[in-house]
Amino acid sequence: MQDALIRKLESYEELTDADRRALRAFVPRLREVPARTDLIREGDIPSNMHLILDGFACRYKVLPDGQRQIMAYFIPGDFCDLNVFILDQMDHNIGTISQCQVVEIPRKSIDAITAQYPTITRAFWWCALVDEAVLRQWLVNMGARSPDQRIAHLFCELLLRMDVVGRVKDNSLPFPFTQTDLADSVGLSDVHVSRTLRKLRRLELITLHRRVLTILDAEQLKAYCGFNPNYLHLRNARWSGRRQMPWLNRVQGE
Amino acid sequence: MADQDNVETLVFLQPISVETGSPDQVGMLVMANGLLVGVLVRLDAPEHARCGAWFMEVGLGRLAGVRAPVFDTLDDATRWMRQRLKS
Repeated sequence: MQDALIRKLESYEELTDADRRALRAFVPRLREVPARTDLIREGDIPSNMHLILDGFACRYKVLPDGQRQIMAYFIPGDFCDLNVFILDQMDHNIGTISQCQVVEIPRKSIDAITAQYPTITRAFWWCALVDEAVLRQWLVNMGARSPDQRIAHLFCELLLRMDVVGRVKDNSLPFPFTQTDLADSVGLSDVHVSRTLRKLRRLELITLHRRVLTILDAEQLKAYCGFNPNYLHLRNARWSGRRQMPWLNRVQGE
Repeated sequence: MADQDNVETLVFLQPISVETGSPDQVGMLVMANGLLVGVLVRLDAPEHARCGAWFMEVGLGRLAGVRAPVFDTLDDATRWMRQRLKS
């Protein structure tokens, strides 16, 4: 059941059998949550951590005039709130986009597993670090990329993230997001999103049909928006050598 | 009280073609009391959820950066713009 999580953590750290057993032995509360449902709202007191096992969710805020801004997408294997659960009060909302399988992990289970399994703890740190890196990338997207590139970049990112957790088949992935979801994620109007999707289709870079996104030419799409996946810090990527951190091993060996 | 609500904003539309990088080209310059306040464009690309509706492509002054809804008619669009300019 936790396979998406284990796959994701293994993309950052090499887990041992004991680590995997510990993750599988989580005694979580598994919930089926309908689409478009809040898991936790601004102002709520967080007590559990949410892990998405299936489906899509997002982190968002709503302005007083009703305008919504989506700040993050959560896909299978993602913690919605790895550190957020330490907060006294939520300063944003987390809600589902599609129907989701969500695991609620009590704070004390996280404390227990991080106290005993250093590799898992380090993988959790990676998760938090990459979440931040993705957020930085979204900030660059909104502030500095053209509307077409913003959406192309988002598609490249989703393709890679979904691939890590084994949810891409023939360059296709489930895509339950509406044009309004996309618009609220990249700071554009629905109309601009509609025009951009039209353009990307006509360039034969993507198809979007019956809630399935197919990337027809991943290399071209990456080139189109200048996509560099370095911020996702995947272990199997070419910069993994840098991740060896010899200085850390030396310090630990002393 | 001689409040400003009694002073009707004079809105004037002038047809113009607009480059949007899409088939949406039919547009209107929207002038309010002699000043350009926005550009409306008709959504003609079949991909749009509401074909034939009007979209505020650009807003200026008080309408700058405002994410406007899509309007069924030009009347609806100008009414909304006039209200926004007043408030």
